[in-house]
Amino acid sequence: MNPIKGRVWIVGDDVDTDQILPGYAMSEPYDKLGQFAMAGALGQEFVQNVCPGDIIVAGRNFGCGSSREQAPIAIKQAGVGMVVAISFARIFRRNAINIGLPVFCADIRPGLCQGDLVEVDLATGRIVTPKGVTEAAPMSANVLSTIEAGGLIARVRAELLSKK
Amino acid sequence: MNTIEQILARAAGLSEVKPGQDIRCRVDLAASHDVTAPIAIKQFSDIGIDRVFDPDKVWMVVDHVYPASTENARNNVWLMKDFAKAHHIRLYERGEGVIHQLVSEKANLPEGSLIVIADSHTCTCGGYGVAGIGVGSTELAAAMATGMIDLEVPQVAQVYLTGAFAQNVSGKDLILALAKKYKTDYLCDRGLILTGPGIRGISREERMTVCNMGTEIGSMITLFGTERRETDVWRTDEFNLDGLVPQIACPFSPANVRDVEEVAGIPITQAVVGSCTNGRLNDIEQVVRVLKKQKVHPDVNLLVIPASRSIADEMERRGWGETIRSAGGAVLNPGCGPCFGAHEGLAGERDTVISTTNRNFPGRMGSTKANIYLASPRTAVCSAVAGMITVPAAADEEELL
Repeated sequence: MNPIKGRVWIVGDDVDTDQILPGYAMSEPYDKLGQFAMAGALGQEFVQNVCPGDIIVAGRNFGCGSSREQAPIAIKQAGVGMVVAISFARIFRRNAINIGLPVFCADIRPGLCQGDLVEVDLATGRIVTPKGVTEAAPMSANVLSTIEAGGLIARVRAELLSKK
Repeated sequence: MNTIEQILARAAGLSEVKPGQDIRCRVDLAASHDVTAPIAIKQFSDIGIDRVFDPDKVWMVVDHVYPASTENARNNVWLMKDFAKAHHIRLYERGEGVIHQLVSEKANLPEGSLIVIADSHTCTCGGYGVAGIGVGSTELAAAMATGMIDLEVPQVAQVYLTGAFAQNVSGKDLILALAKKYKTDYLCDRGLILTGPGIRGISREERMTVCNMGTEIGSMITLFGTERRETDVWRTDEFNLDGLVPQIACPFSPANVRDVEEVAGIPITQAVVGSCTNGRLNDIEQVVRVLKKQKVHPDVNLLVIPASRSIADEMERRGWGETIRSAGGAVLNPGCGPCFGAHEGLAGERDTVISTTNRNFPGRMGSTKANIYLASPRTAVCSAVAGMITVPAAADEEELL
């Protein structure tokens, strides 16, 4: 998988799934969810200005709260290339991986500014920011292969086919 | 092995498991509701098989937006109806109740079962010894297809309880106190087991309340064990219930917990009693005890939402609906109500809400400006009567029904 490169949107700690995809948008049709991405946390500014490949950079416990898969789906549909956070809530992290949205643990916020260009190599853990280069723990091979396959469904389909 | 490890080992068909081990477990139930099922149905069809792993072990429930408040919400129910018919699975709709309550009432799961639901409050079943794993729609689709879930065995923290609840304290206060202690991510990817002589006085319903908010403190599996102290755990914290006073989570996090006393006097405009956290008969009984004698404050909108049809039926048999209404409150249909901000009692920017539900993030119940406090049913009803956050008095004899 190639390194992911994009402009950053910075948020704080404990950004919960109600802020990522609010309750009023939960019943929206699948392909409209991207229009509500980060609506609670960043309002219309994000949805109107996000560009394909942008990277969300967060503090601790990103995605805490509900199990709503609409949250990572909305982020992915809005064009975000990946989320880098100090830590992720468990269910959000698994949901993101399962739908093929890369999520990576690292603390790159110190000195980072909104809109900075950042490059992350999931396989090696190498992160390049305007401040320099950091080496974070690389993504596990298992998780990387699920993301590269496009998510959990592709993996399950392959497993069930191979049993026949 | 601790109790959680024993459950996982059995589900994985292994004689032993250790923390960190990757395992594949059989599930005894795979379920979803009207917010998570539509995506699960879509993902299931992408897998490309024509049947679920076991129709008797797959459920769907309409609870989050019932009755439908938008055309989209109703269309989602149609998707579920079509899927349920095609795959011969159980579908609870038409106001039967909230999924976690229905699992408790109707699934008859033996202790030690392992279930997977596309909802974060799946852990509620830990209150009766079942390990519940909350997942997203895609993982649920995979479970419907295969009957399995891939997990890593978690480290397990133990809370060893001693003492007993004071008269004005209940399960909700305990889990809020634990949220104060552990915050929202300390237990991430870890399990939590509650043991000790202190569990003896905690009813099944109160245990469900405690486990329900295990997800709010990040725990992957939350379970009540036995009175016996477990030795094979990552860490143990002792907690004496004798010292526990009513607790309240303040805006804007379930872990931003104080003693109710510290915030008493803050005016409230809406009170909500219900949800998978506190929508059972014992919870609504707290409301009725107080409202038999006192009225809801004129500035407060009180909403009571029974968590299931059978709870609502029993309420009516006991005349509780009339008591609540005469006192100025409203009783809604069984379901999730305004808990997550989709319908049935949203808060505006001028509202301050006290709620027995489980989350108070910004905008959770409507306006991002509405302050939401989370508390026990007793604290909520006493506050609803006073028109302000109030430390609930102990029940006196006059209140007893």
